[in-house]
Formats: sequence, structure tokens, C-alpha cells
Amino acid sequence: MPQPAVPRRVLVHVGAPKTGTSFVQDVLWLNRGSLAGQGILYPAERFDEHFLAALDLLELPWGGLERQAVGAWDRLAERVRGWPGTSIVSHEILATATRQQVRRAIDSFGDVEVHVVLSARDLVRQIPAEWQENIKHRRTLGYREFLDRITDPRRSGELASWFWGVQEVPDILDRWGSTLPRERVHLVTVPKPGQPRTLLWERFSSVLGLDAAALEPETNRSNASLGVPETVLVRRINQQVNNGVLRNEDYRLLVRELLAHRTLSLRTGSARLGLPPDVRDWALELSEEWISVLAERGYDVRGSLDELRPDLVPTEFTDPDRPEEQAVTDAAVTAVVTLLDEVARLMETERTLREELESAYQELERSRSLWFRAKRRLVRQAEVSRTAALGLAAYRRVRGRSSRSA
Amino acid sequence: MSEPGPYERSVWSWQRHLAAGGSTCWRDWVARGDVAAAAPVPAGWSPPGAAQLEVLRRVAVRGELAGAALGVFADLVTRRSGPGRGLAQQPLRWPDADAAETAGAAGRRFGAPPVDPSEVPAEELVRVGTGALTELLLARTAEHSEPRRTPRRRSGRLRRIHRSRRTTPFALAGAPVTTSVVRRALEAAGHAEGARPRLALLLAEPFDLALAQSWSARVQRGAPVRWHGFVARWSGRRRLPPSMDLPALARRWADRVGADNVHLVVAPAGSDAAIRTAVTLLGADTSGRRHGPGPGGARDLSPAAVDVGRRVNAVLGVRVGEERHAAVLGRLVPLLEQSGPGSATTGPALTVPLSARDWAFGRAAQIADELSAGGYPVHGSPAGVLPRLEGLASHPRREDALEVLLMACARLVRREDGVEGTVRR
Repeated sequence: MPQPAVPRRVLVHVGAPKTGTSFVQDVLWLNRGSLAGQGILYPAERFDEHFLAALDLLELPWGGLERQAVGAWDRLAERVRGWPGTSIVSHEILATATRQQVRRAIDSFGDVEVHVVLSARDLVRQIPAEWQENIKHRRTLGYREFLDRITDPRRSGELASWFWGVQEVPDILDRWGSTLPRERVHLVTVPKPGQPRTLLWERFSSVLGLDAAALEPETNRSNASLGVPETVLVRRINQQVNNGVLRNEDYRLLVRELLAHRTLSLRTGSARLGLPPDVRDWALELSEEWISVLAERGYDVRGSLDELRPDLVPTEFTDPDRPEEQAVTDAAVTAVVTLLDEVARLMETERTLREELESAYQELERSRSLWFRAKRRLVRQAEVSRTAALGLAAYRRVRGRSSRSA
Repeated sequence: MSEPGPYERSVWSWQRHLAAGGSTCWRDWVARGDVAAAAPVPAGWSPPGAAQLEVLRRVAVRGELAGAALGVFADLVTRRSGPGRGLAQQPLRWPDADAAETAGAAGRRFGAPPVDPSEVPAEELVRVGTGALTELLLARTAEHSEPRRTPRRRSGRLRRIHRSRRTTPFALAGAPVTTSVVRRALEAAGHAEGARPRLALLLAEPFDLALAQSWSARVQRGAPVRWHGFVARWSGRRRLPPSMDLPALARRWADRVGADNVHLVVAPAGSDAAIRTAVTLLGADTSGRRHGPGPGGARDLSPAAVDVGRRVNAVLGVRVGEERHAAVLGRLVPLLEQSGPGSATTGPALTVPLSARDWAFGRAAQIADELSAGGYPVHGSPAGVLPRLEGLASHPRREDALEVLLMACARLVRREDGVEGTVRR
């Protein structure tokens, strides 16, 4: 009896940022072996491969990482085309793709059935989270300035363009889904606080066609949020290190990863960032419009559109442009201690490496001839002594080569 | 998908009009309603953004491309969006706001706000142009082509054989573009730098101009850095770009040839003056027989051309590996050089932005003091290394960059597509 044809399809998870995407990507990455056993391909040889593919598709320079992205999208698409079952592609910056880039992406999958997945969270939680992301990417603008820019209907400037590019749910789904049947456009809503943490994963699993029970959703990697004083501290650090003090790769390791993600985000008890009342009211109104239009469009919703409606009871607003200095100082002390610990660790590593190098050097010296050592000494002397330089030149003439190397 | 409405049909017909060499603006085109509405929209087409179509209209206005060449360019511009970061792709604003709902142009409650194409910021046009130029360069640079090799500077015996006319063996250092120009001029006249120089010529420019030359040289080697970013980076460091650290260069050469033989040629006010001074100092003969092209090195590009170069570098960084990037640069830099000094797109030279002026003055004064104290023969005044500031721009102008881009695209499409004969001048 002939086997039924396995449907070849690709699920493209395009964002949005701050909706649990890092968590999903990490689970997919860590479980890619068992996923393959279920006939599902998560095509990645390194954890950030889909990020690189997205940079390639969007032609987006990204702090020196871009060279690693060359050809990454085509390689990804080739693997998707060659897989007999379901493939999953996931990165949140894909949300910003233009219609031409979306078309290129969809065309690159050939005759594989394309599904688009967007995870979404209510705006009142997304807006502060986006400002934090900006701060964690070296920006220095204040919170009110950020809010003014994104609420300006002209959306002039890169910041507002980027924000709406990755957060405007109806527009993202229009750009990515306008050429697809509605049932292939999936919207996963992020549960409200207080819901079981596994609920979001279950929703993703259902749309991605995964056997949730067969996967291990535990992961250490998440894009945790910062409190108000911690965000203020990172902003102040940015103001001091942006003028050539820290290279992008150093900033990424030391400020974003070590300080923000692994240290400051673990602090508890700090005030959490929210929206001031005027922006909150504006966000509530806009959310209602979104919910209305999304309901009209008839996408496949996993969760509920009601979850995109912000809580009606406002929480107390702590203004990061006027922070409590003692709280910022406390966060700064924590940061200094972390950095001292890191410096001590690196010094120890350096000491060890120096000892190993010295040992290797002595070993090399012992293995070299007396004649080599004499020549090297002559070359070194020639740099400071004219007599030695003349001697070296004479030696080289006799030897018959013009190279200056020793 | 729903049937194309008046908006889509008008955009499609306007795109066709522009691709055929028409230059009617969007507002006037829509006013011709019946013509626009009659155009059938092909399946699978989606409206390009306002910036893409405005670039096409600007090309039509310039009149450098026509026929097949213009078709190639139009296809390229409308099929790809601008690379990198910038504004979201904006739809075209329907001129009659009252009729926009009917046209299907105002029905979008979300997404980037519509804009009249004539009001698209120059930065966005430049972004679209950068994407088109990069695509053309990649298409014209074969996948496995070697980087264009600049002739290597001859060394040792070969260099001595090449030097048919006798001068004191010399070396050049300093502001990278001026140094390259002088080096090429001397080599063309048969005077190459010697293997064991007895004379060193340090070519100094005002601090801001020399920094702009360093930026230009970096971009010509593949860097994507913006002018303001470049200045900010160096102003935050203790060091200077090596070619600008004249006291260090002078000390290094003094150790080799003696302080008396390190000649400082200050603020030569253009490479011609630098060449004349160098010729006089070396006693070189530049008349008569010419040699082939001299070695490579930084070319004298206008600020707008350098800005275009850094933008293309940013895209190439994510599109190709280093080797192919170098090969593309070998084609791009000469193309940009054609928009250099003397062309309509030169624009004023660059100075540092306001925020870096104190730093520039401080560092330049320090350089002048150290050079004065060094006892080197000076041609001009060491104070000539102070920043010039007056009459200079603190950033490349985007309109100039757009001119450079459109000119470069037109030259690439015309020259390499074999459609020169169809081009309307």
C-alpha cells in the first residue's frame, strides 16, 4: 500500500520581539535532534543561524556580524526545500521585511507550503520592552523622547520606523500574509501574567505541529527584562562608552550579555517599567482598533485576541527619566562587582596563558640552533644600530636574497 | 487577493510611464485618471514604495538612460527595496484626500503613512539608489573574479631599475589621499620611492581635511563607517589614525634618515601644490617620457562619493565575502572617482562636526607644537595643520550623494550592457 505523501511545509515565525521568541528559538535549537525524529526540521548548525539568515534577507548590517550572514538565507531556504516534511524558520526581525523581501523569502521556498506565524503581546507591555531593547543596543535616548517619537503619526526617523515595523501586528500580518490563504496565517497571543508559563509553549507547539510533551522546554536563554534603575544604569553606561570606548563585539559581551542579561535582569524588587497615563490611554485605543481589524481578517488565532487588550487597571508609573538615584547606585554597585569578578577571572586566564606561552617559548629556544639565535640577535640590533644594519645588509647580499624577514 | 483598485492601477501605470522614460510627477499622473485607470495590473505585482518610484522619476528627469537600459534599471529599482535601516516603505499618497477612500489608497488603517513621492526624504532615495548600485556592481563583477590588483609598489632592485631618472632616494608619508596622488604623479614621471630612502617627505594637510582623507582611505578599503561615526570614534581615543600622527611619523623617519632629511610639507592647498613642492625638493624631472599608471592607494573622491562608497560597503558586508567585496571595490572606486573634484557633485570639503571641534583644535595644536620642536625642515608653517573649518561642510550632502549614485548607476547600465547606442544624451 503506498505511503500517503508527507506534506512539505515551512512555518516562518516572524516575531514579534519580546513575545517569547528567544525562548521558542532556544527550545527548537536544543531539541532539533528529537524534532527531526518527528519529521520536523529546525535548520540550524548554530543557535543564531536564523538571525543571520534574516540579516541576509533584509540586507541589514548588525554590529559587525553581517559578514557571517553572507548567503545565509539561501542556504536556509535550500535546506527547507530539500526536507521532506515540516521545517521551521524563526526570527523576530523578519517582522520588518518589506513586501519585496517577503516575496523573495516566499519564492525561495519553492513549492513548499508556506505558513506565517506571528506571536503578539499587548502594546502596554510591548512599548516599555522596546525602549529597553533600544537601550540594550547602545541607544541613549530618554524614555519620553522615545515615546514621543513612536506616538508621532508621521513616524519619521529610523527608530519609529523600526518600532512599528516589528510591533504593528495588523501591518506585519498584511505584509507577510497578503498572498497566503488566511488559514496559513497564524497569530499566537502571549498569555497574560499569572497564566502558566507552559501555556505559551503549548500554543506554539500546536501551531508548529509539535508534540509538546516530547520536547524539553527548559532553557537557560531568555531575553529577560530589566527594572527601571537597571535600565537607567545601562543608558548611562551607553552615554560613556559609545564614543569609541567599546567596540560592538565588546559591548555585546560585556554590557548586553554580562551586565544586562546575566546580572541586572536577575535583580528583584526594582520598579518595573510601564507607560505614563497619556501614552497608556493612546495604547488602549489603538489596541481596540487592532483587535477589531484582526477579528475581521479571520486569521488562525492561537490564544485569544482579548489578550491583546491591555489591563484596564493601570499600575503605578515610575519615570525612568527621573529615577531614584539610590536605586541606580545600588544597581551600579552590583555591576561593578560583576565586572571586578570578570576582570579577576580574565587576569587568572591571562596568567595561565602567559605561563604556558613562556613554557612553549623556552621549549622552542632549546630546540633552536646557536646560529639561528645569533642571526636573530643581529636583526634586532640592526633596528637600533647602523653598524649592525650594515652588517646585516652585507650578510644578505652574500646570501643572495632581499627579504628582510628573520 | 482582492482585485486591484484605482490606486494599484494608477501606481502600475505610473511605474510603466517612468520605465519608458516619462517624468510626469505622481500628482499630475493621477490627474490624468482615465489613462491611469486603463492599465491592466499583472498578476503577482505589488506596488513599490514611493521612494523607489521617485528614484525612477529622477533618473527619467536626468535623461541619461532610455530604452532597454532604462528598462533594466527600472526593473532593478522596483523589484528590490532599499537595503539596511531606514524608514518603512511608504505607499503613495492619493492627491485628492476626499477621493482616497474610493481609490483604495486611504483604506489602509495601519502601516507607514502615505507620502507624495516628491516629498520622500533624500536619505530614502539614497538608500534605494545604494541598493540599485550594489546590485549592478555585483551583477557586473563575476562571482569568482579576483580583486583588481593595484600595481604593487616595486621593491628593491626592480624599483631601482624602474627609476630611470636619478633623484635622491625618497619616501612619502602623511595624509593618505595627498600622499597617493603625489606618489602616482612622481611614479608616472619615473620617480619611485627607493628601497633605502635618504629623504622623507611628510605631506600634511589641515587636521579636518586630513581626517576626511583618512575616512576616504578607510572607505576605499571597504569600511562602512559614517563620517560622524568616524570622527566620534577617533575623538574618543588617545591615538590618531597612523597617517595623521605626523610627530610619530616624523620621529620614525628621523631615526632612519636623520631629522634634517625629514621634510614637512604643510598645507599644500591641494595635491598640485604638493606635487610641485615634492618635485622641487627631490630635484625630479617630470618632463618628457611618461611611465604607466603608478601604484594604487587612496583616490581623490568627493565627500559625497565617499559617502556613497561607505553605504555600498555596508550592503556588500552582508551580501558577499571579503574577496568579492574587494573585487567590487576595484570597480566602484574608479566609478566614484569620476564624480570627484571638478564634477558637479563635488560638494564642499568636509570638516569635523561642531561637537568635535575642540578636540580637533587641541590635537592639531599639539601636532603643530611637536613638529615645531622637532627641528625638521618645514615647507609652510606647522600652524597650517590646524583645522580649516570655515566654508566646509560637517557632513556629506545627501542630494550630492544621490547625484553620485544616479550617475554611477547610469554609467554602469550604459557601459556594460552594450546598449550605449540607445542612450539619450
